[in-house]
Amino acid sequence: MSDTKQLFKPEDRGFDFGTAVAEAGRCLLCHDAPCSQGCPAGTDPGTFIRKLRLRNVTGAIRTVKENNILGGACGVLCPVARLCEKECAACGIDRPIRIGKLQRFLVEQSWRTDFRVFAGRPRPAGEKRVAVIGAGPAGLSCAAELAKLGIPVTVFEARPEAGGVLRYGVPEFRLPKAFLEGEIADVRSLGVEFRFGKRIPSRAAAEALLGKGFSAVFLGIGLWKASRLEGKPRDVAGLLSSVDFLAALRDGRKVAVGRAVKGRTVAVIGGGSVAIDCARCALRLGAQDVYLLYRRSYAQMPAEEDERQEALLEGVHFLLLNQPVGYLTDPRGGLRGVSLRRTRLGVKDASGRRRPEELTGSDWALEAQVAVEAIGNEPEDGLGLIRADARDCRTAKAGVFAGGDIVRGPDLVVRAVLDGKTAARSIARFLTRGRSPQKAAR
Amino acid sequence: MEKRPDLSVEFLGKTFINPFLLSSSPVSNSAKMLERAFEAGWSGVAYKTLVTGRIPIVHPSPRMHPYHYGETRLMGLQNVEQTTDRGLKPNLRDIAYLKKHWPDRVVMASIMGFANQEWADLARACEDAGADMLELNFSCPHMTVEGSGCKVGQEHELVEKFTATVRKVVSIPLVAKMTPNLADMSIPALAAKRGGADAISAINTVKGISEIGLDDWVPRPNVFGKGAISGYSGPAVKPIGLRFIAELASDPKLKLPLSGIGGIETWVDALEYLLAGAATVQVTTGVIHYGYRIVEDMIEGLSDYMAQKGVSRVADLIGKALPNLHDTGKFDVAKQGVAQYDLDRCVGCGQCYIVCRDAGGEALEWDAAKRRPRQIEDKCLSCMICGFVCPVAGLITFKKKPASWKRRPTVTLG
Ligand SMILES: Cc1cc2nc3c(=O)[nH]c(=O)nc-3n(C[C@H](O)[C@H](O)[C@H](O)COP(=O)(O)OP(=O)(O)OC[C@H]3O[C@@H](n4cnc5c(N)ncnc54)[C@H](O)[C@@H]3O)c2cc1C
Ligand SMILES: Cc1cc2nc3c(=O)[nH]c(=O)nc-3n(C[C@H](O)[C@H](O)[C@H](O)COP(=O)(O)O)c2cc1C
Ligand code: SF4
Repeated sequence: MSDTKQLFKPEDRGFDFGTAVAEAGRCLLCHDAPCSQGCPAGTDPGTFIRKLRLRNVTGAIRTVKENNILGGACGVLCPVARLCEKECAACGIDRPIRIGKLQRFLVEQSWRTDFRVFAGRPRPAGEKRVAVIGAGPAGLSCAAELAKLGIPVTVFEARPEAGGVLRYGVPEFRLPKAFLEGEIADVRSLGVEFRFGKRIPSRAAAEALLGKGFSAVFLGIGLWKASRLEGKPRDVAGLLSSVDFLAALRDGRKVAVGRAVKGRTVAVIGGGSVAIDCARCALRLGAQDVYLLYRRSYAQMPAEEDERQEALLEGVHFLLLNQPVGYLTDPRGGLRGVSLRRTRLGVKDASGRRRPEELTGSDWALEAQVAVEAIGNEPEDGLGLIRADARDCRTAKAGVFAGGDIVRGPDLVVRAVLDGKTAARSIARFLTRGRSPQKAAR
Repeated sequence: MEKRPDLSVEFLGKTFINPFLLSSSPVSNSAKMLERAFEAGWSGVAYKTLVTGRIPIVHPSPRMHPYHYGETRLMGLQNVEQTTDRGLKPNLRDIAYLKKHWPDRVVMASIMGFANQEWADLARACEDAGADMLELNFSCPHMTVEGSGCKVGQEHELVEKFTATVRKVVSIPLVAKMTPNLADMSIPALAAKRGGADAISAINTVKGISEIGLDDWVPRPNVFGKGAISGYSGPAVKPIGLRFIAELASDPKLKLPLSGIGGIETWVDALEYLLAGAATVQVTTGVIHYGYRIVEDMIEGLSDYMAQKGVSRVADLIGKALPNLHDTGKFDVAKQGVAQYDLDRCVGCGQCYIVCRDAGGEALEWDAAKRRPRQIEDKCLSCMICGFVCPVAGLITFKKKPASWKRRPTVTLG
């Protein structure tokens, strides 16, 4: 087991002080910094890099954490190549400043130097309490922002611990546990209350909290039902959804999963980031061969370029232009293989990518003892995404707000953080209706 | 919001909201610009040096040159700028405007006369315009007019005479700004005190030549084919400024409040000036490099430092390094140490080996197979230059040796 433990060790160690200062030294300190405009959550890299450059390290940490309560996790997980770093003016010279890594460094530096941005902050003391449903990025961000605005918050979380996808989805080798523990401790230090193992049974039940001591409700419940290839998945031993597979690796079932995967051939179905995570985990668990089955080609894969490259280099076999059409089982009900049909790319579809067209008579079977379906996530209650206004996160029901993946569909941590902040400010306005408008004080 | 330390300081009877001022230069050239500086957080300004309109001032063009060192921009800055090239009247109007609209900020008018009467006229005009205090510029290193600038600063009788002249005609406090282009600053500083100065500011720019064109052989800046020995400022001069502030602060005869200038860009630089004895600090080149915005980081950085150290007032930092400042003769050379290596983290570059062999104690051998240095400890001079070049932070550190430890003598050939 210690072998797999090693393999799940975080791979990227992050900058040390000297490297970070040198990287900050490359920054052009732009006026009206374009990187800051490229950050969905308003983390303001232009300012925190300038602060680091001017030896105001504590101030730089403060900027990150005030603007983005999950600044560390975002520094690690954000696809920076299409966000802040894409806008970096240094791209016009050679390569962008490594903004994500600097952001991550600052958060780690705060732990190393025991500099707590929120130490000594008064506890929220307002009379009206807000219920936040879900302790994922959206819920955590909303709760932290509310607490900073002086509004008491209770977070209801179905699972035993906070983090949402960060804890029960993203594999440990990509996001070290320290980021979860450290940043959740920051949320707690703001005086946010948590109720774990407390599933709110339905949307109606969430709305009903309005009458029960809560003046507003924020829904940040994410997408926790895996989309399945065959509408109703068969009970086949060895056939898993990405949600089950990834959660098992982080909630104490790693040994059991490891036993099922070790030495076997694993087929992962899908071309997104989640599929890549599943494939890389399977390799780390000791799978003999891992195939990534995707119906379009490499260029159309939704997964980030760097993840695709890393998976390829680690030894994941990309089996492109193949559409899985069914599973083969052995007499004991165990998985034996995946039936595949070859495809070719036709004309563009609504997503702007060329549509895969199945080639009749091209069916074949890939032998595999384990298959993981990673073809998308949906709301758990089957009721579809929640509709909320992007500008203020308000839903059709007054007092009920929503954000993150449950509104956007599968998206990013940093956009969930943005929604949490937007919702909190909008809730603050909602709570002070009729009174003088509340300023979003910092 | 949690309680933040109070950054305010008392200087010459005025409360400054923080110790950070702009020094007299293009960064303090007009009220329009200074309003933005005050918005950014600067507590006050030494306004760009005023002169009477008698001799028109025209700046050479170009008037500055950057000294980049490798990847580091503006290690130093060379300039041949003169005093203000704006008329006296518009400047006085600007000073009055600033005092009216920014009552919590301090305006110190910098003046330079070319004759006794001019000093008196300028001083009176500035006081009438509402200036809180005056800075007497005895220190510009490249004034083209005889009897002005640091030529005065180097003649202590003139310093005393001009200060006394000003003292007689105004009641606001006087700060005498010193040139570093001399061996002992306490002589002109004491002369200024005798003349009636209430405080000293230092340093103005250091005379130097930062670069010479390799094709045209003209020292920079190249003013249409001519160069000059002129004023050098920025991070490169900080050690010089700190030295003079520490010396003035330790002078038992002087005992005047000090305003530290020279190479300040960050809160760390500013703090060092405070620890060396300055009560306020002034900045030019830092703003020429980064703009007024750097004060935000100076304020935040210093107040976080104070909070972490449990220091509640800036005054409690002033001069705190002085008790630790001694003549080198006071060092206890019976105590010795060596460089200590944490080779687990070594990346095998061998730079330590090269510098120790060629500039140190020849105390390292090179294990070529392992690519690691091997230290012969009793040859180590504890010069620590190996640590200066090591790319891995904290790999090479200083370790104290017991009193019984002996260093091997240097090898003699022949
Ligand atoms: C495997 C994987 C890898 C990813 N990698 C990245 C990446 O590298 N970078 C990136 O930016 N994004 C990544 N994402 C996307 C990102 O994780 C999500 O966009 C983000 O987590 C959405 O946050 P959220 O708060 O809306 O939802 P979630 O993170 O899903 O959190 C929702 C929370 O609500 C709780 N909950 C649900 N229902 C209830 C209920 N009824 N009562 C109480 N609690 C409830 C859940 O237990 C959960 O804790 C990845 C997603 C996955 C699945
Ligand atoms: C372009 C330029 C112009 C200056 N003009 C003046 C001046 O008019 N009067 C004055 O007292 N000092 C003048 N100085 C000196 C500065 O006020 C300051 O003493 C010196 O630059 C050192 O500080 P620094 O390293 O922060 O720039 C000037 C400096 C520069 C670079
Ligand atoms: S900085 Fe402005 S004033 Fe100075 S040379 Fe450039 S354009 Fe001219």
